[in-house]
Formats: sequence, structure tokens, C-alpha cells
Amino acid sequence: MNVLTIFLKDMLLFQRRLLRLGYVISTLFAPLLYLGAFGLGLGRRVQLGGTSYLDFLLPGLIAMSSMTNSYNWVASSLNMGRLYYRTFQIYLQAPVAPWEIVAGQALAGVVRGLMAALVLLLLGLLLGGTFNLHPLFWLGLLLNGLVFATFGVVVGLKSKSHEDTATFTNFFILPMAFFGGTFFPVEEMPRLVQHLIFLLPLYHANRLLRTPYLNPEAWLSLVLLTAAAALCVAVSIRHIRRYSE
Amino acid sequence: MIVTENLQKYYGSTCALEGLTLHIREGEIFGLLGPNGAGKTTTIKILTTLTYPSGGRASIGGLDVVRDRPRLKPLIAVCPQDINLDRELTAFENLWFYGRLYRVPDLKRRINELLEWGQLAERAREPVKKLSGGLMRRLLILRALLSRPRVLFLDEPTVGLDPQIRRQLWDMIRHLQAQGITVLLTTHYIEEAESLCHRVAILNRGRLMALDAPKTLISRVGGYVVETVDGYQRRYRLVKDRGEAYDRAREEPDGVLIRQANLEDVFIQLTGERLSP
Repeated sequence: MNVLTIFLKDMLLFQRRLLRLGYVISTLFAPLLYLGAFGLGLGRRVQLGGTSYLDFLLPGLIAMSSMTNSYNWVASSLNMGRLYYRTFQIYLQAPVAPWEIVAGQALAGVVRGLMAALVLLLLGLLLGGTFNLHPLFWLGLLLNGLVFATFGVVVGLKSKSHEDTATFTNFFILPMAFFGGTFFPVEEMPRLVQHLIFLLPLYHANRLLRTPYLNPEAWLSLVLLTAAAALCVAVSIRHIRRYSE
Repeated sequence: MIVTENLQKYYGSTCALEGLTLHIREGEIFGLLGPNGAGKTTTIKILTTLTYPSGGRASIGGLDVVRDRPRLKPLIAVCPQDINLDRELTAFENLWFYGRLYRVPDLKRRINELLEWGQLAERAREPVKKLSGGLMRRLLILRALLSRPRVLFLDEPTVGLDPQIRRQLWDMIRHLQAQGITVLLTTHYIEEAESLCHRVAILNRGRLMALDAPKTLISRVGGYVVETVDGYQRRYRLVKDRGEAYDRAREEPDGVLIRQANLEDVFIQLTGERLSP
């Protein structure tokens, strides 16, 4: 019940604060830009292992948008709520368990990530892209949102200012977007870099969104992404429990 | 009701609270008076589970503020210094989300009852950002009352408000005390402490300087003040009674002001500093 309360309030605030046409356009602007520049530019001329580049790129952009939307909303709303509006302290002082705070906030983040993903998916279908919309696709999307929403909880709690949040974004989220296999297959990269990329949650989300069926590779990604989500959930709950001003 | 024993809080090497010991009785309006940085807000943050103490202990109604948090939280409520309302939401929505977290039974009726009592019912459907500062403060207090707390913490409840609105809030707080709620408030307004609080603890730089009923504290330093102006310098002299004040006044060659002593004089006497700059 507390989880639902926190989730509902977050969604209502999101609707009142941000959900305007200008916001929707600005959220979609970055993925559309990439889609325009890479997708239509390289377009159908480039083939990657039998599929067109557009079909390769679209799932990547969907995973990337779910990441940035889940993360951004949670990190910035928590950070602003904690340092500026100080409404986050209501949860900390109320009889609400730390896991309930994390669950409510993360759920709001995941939903926002899914919303962005769905819009891009529709756009992709309109552009004639083909997707493998099997359960793994959706599971990957959900887990990806959960990883980055709970990462957003940690960032929102740890950053000492709003600018601080941008630092976390630049060091973690941006490299994730460029090296996590969004724009090109990482198999071409040097071996050492590939090992590093293997540690990126977004890479595994991408693999789940692109896999045609549940092969051993997809299994591995599923397990690793689940583990990353569990880790992020645990760390964020721990941070809430230890919170002290 | 509220007990602190040698309560301490350090931020790095800075000491915010240096061994505070208080015993606050049930049903009392208790004031923490002191300038900025005295440790008032830190004390409230520790008691309302927002901050862990660095040392010492504190309990409310026998429940430890660190170990018994889940059982303690439903019994207390806080009005923080910053108006932490969701400004995009309406007054009703603010109360509704808060009330759900505290599992308030029959929530809608309780909210309407409180809005009526606080004379906010007509503005209940407007976004909070359209309300004046005084109304927001009032809403903040109503929100804290939603869960029928036994102990209410008010951190600078009237800061930045007009005198007349401040008086309205004082009436509200007295009304709560009449219902048996224990109130701990912080303030740096002497008038607020004097007219509202049964007992006052004077804090300065994290230390307890004095603790008693305002009248007792004042009479302890002398009941009257003889103020003289010497160039740009104002001089104060605390005297026992009116007769002594007249005698002193006669000795002064220039203009003098005789007035009753207040908590500010107590503070100056105790610390050598002024309470308000």
C-alpha cells in the first residue's frame, strides 16, 4: 500500500510538472536525433549479420531510452525532492519501510522508462523496423528499467547538489549509451574493451532485446541483468536505511 | 514524554550538539530557543528520525529514536522549517498522500474535518503554490495533525510570517496542547517563546544554557531593564524591581528607558551575545 502511494504521488507529480507536449518532444529528441543521423544515414545500405542497420539500431535506442528515462526521473526527482523541496523527507519520517520507498520510486522510474520505450517502438514499427517481441524483449526492458531506476535512487541520495547528478550521468550513463552496444556490435572492439563492456548492464539489455530466441547467450544476459538489478535494489535500500542528514 | 540524555551530534569535526539533556513532560509546550546554529534543528532532526545521533540517547514515550523507529514513527509528527509541501498538488492531495502513509482511518472525512477546522476548506482544490505563505504554514500544521500524533515537533513554525498570522498560529498551537498533544517547538522569536511555551531551553552553539519557565528565567536575571543610549552604544542594566529601576534612572544624566526584562536579556546575560542580530 505504501509502495502504491509513493508510486501514485510520483506519477501525479510527473504529470503535473512535466507531462506537456514540449517535454514529450524533448524526451524523444535525443533518440530521434540518433535515429535520424545513424539510422537513416547508414540506413538499409549497411547490413549487420543479415539484418539491416535500422533493425539493429532500433532495439538499441529503445533500451537506451528506457535507461535514460528511468534513471533521469528517479535521480532528479529524488534529488530535488531531498535537497530543494524537502518532500522526500516525508517518506523518511513516516512509518514507511526503506524497501517500500525504493519500490515506489523505482516503479515510477520503470514505468517512465517503459513509456518512452513504447513510443519509440511504435515509431520504429511505423518506420518499417522489425522487432523480436518475445517475452525476453519485455523482460529485458523491465529489468533494464529496474537497474537504472534503482541506480537513480542511489545517485539521488548521494549527490550533494543537482549538478552532482549530472556528473554521475556523464560518468556512468553516457558511456553506457555509447559502449553498451546501442549503435554498433561490440564484437568488433578490442578484446580488453569487450571484457569491460561485458560488465555494462545496458549491454545485456541490448542482447535480450535483440536475441531472436532464448539461446545460451540470452540466458547468460538474463541472469547477469537480474543480478545487476538485485544488486542495485539492495544497495539503494541500504542507502535509505542508513540515511542521515 | 521526550527524554534526551547527553545527546551529541558531530558533523566531521564540527559540533552541532554538545551533550543535550532534556526531560519534556507530557502535554507541555516546550520551546528550544536560540540563534541560528544553536542546535535546535539538529535536535528535532534526531528526535524525528532524520538524523542519527553521534552520541547519547533520546527516547519519546519510552521508545528509542534509533532502535524503535518503526514503533515510534506513527506517534510523532513534524512541521519542518522548510515548507515541504508538493506545490503542484492541491492541499487535499497533499493531505491525502500523507494520510495514506500513516494509515489514517476514514481518511477523506478526517481531511475535510481538518481543512474545515483550519479554515482552508475553500482553497483545498487549488494547487498549493497558489496559497500564501501563512496558509502554507497552516496546511503544514494540519498535515502533521492528520495522524493524530501524541508528540508534535514544530521547527520555526512562524518564521517569516506577519505578526497577525503568527498570532493565529499561536492560537492553533495552544488549541493542540489543550487536546493533550505534547509540543516541542524551536524558535528564535523571544515573544513566541515567552507567550506560548510552558518551559524553554535556551541553546547556544550546541549547548544548553538554561532551562525553566520563561517567567522564572526572567526573574532570575532581574525583572527590569534600564536602557541608556551612550552615543551609538546602547547599554543595558538588569535590576531586581521597579523601585531599583527608578533609582538607577535618576542617576543617568540623559534619556533612559525602563522596561520589563525578556528572554533576550536572559540570553545576553548567559552568553554575552545577542539572540537576534
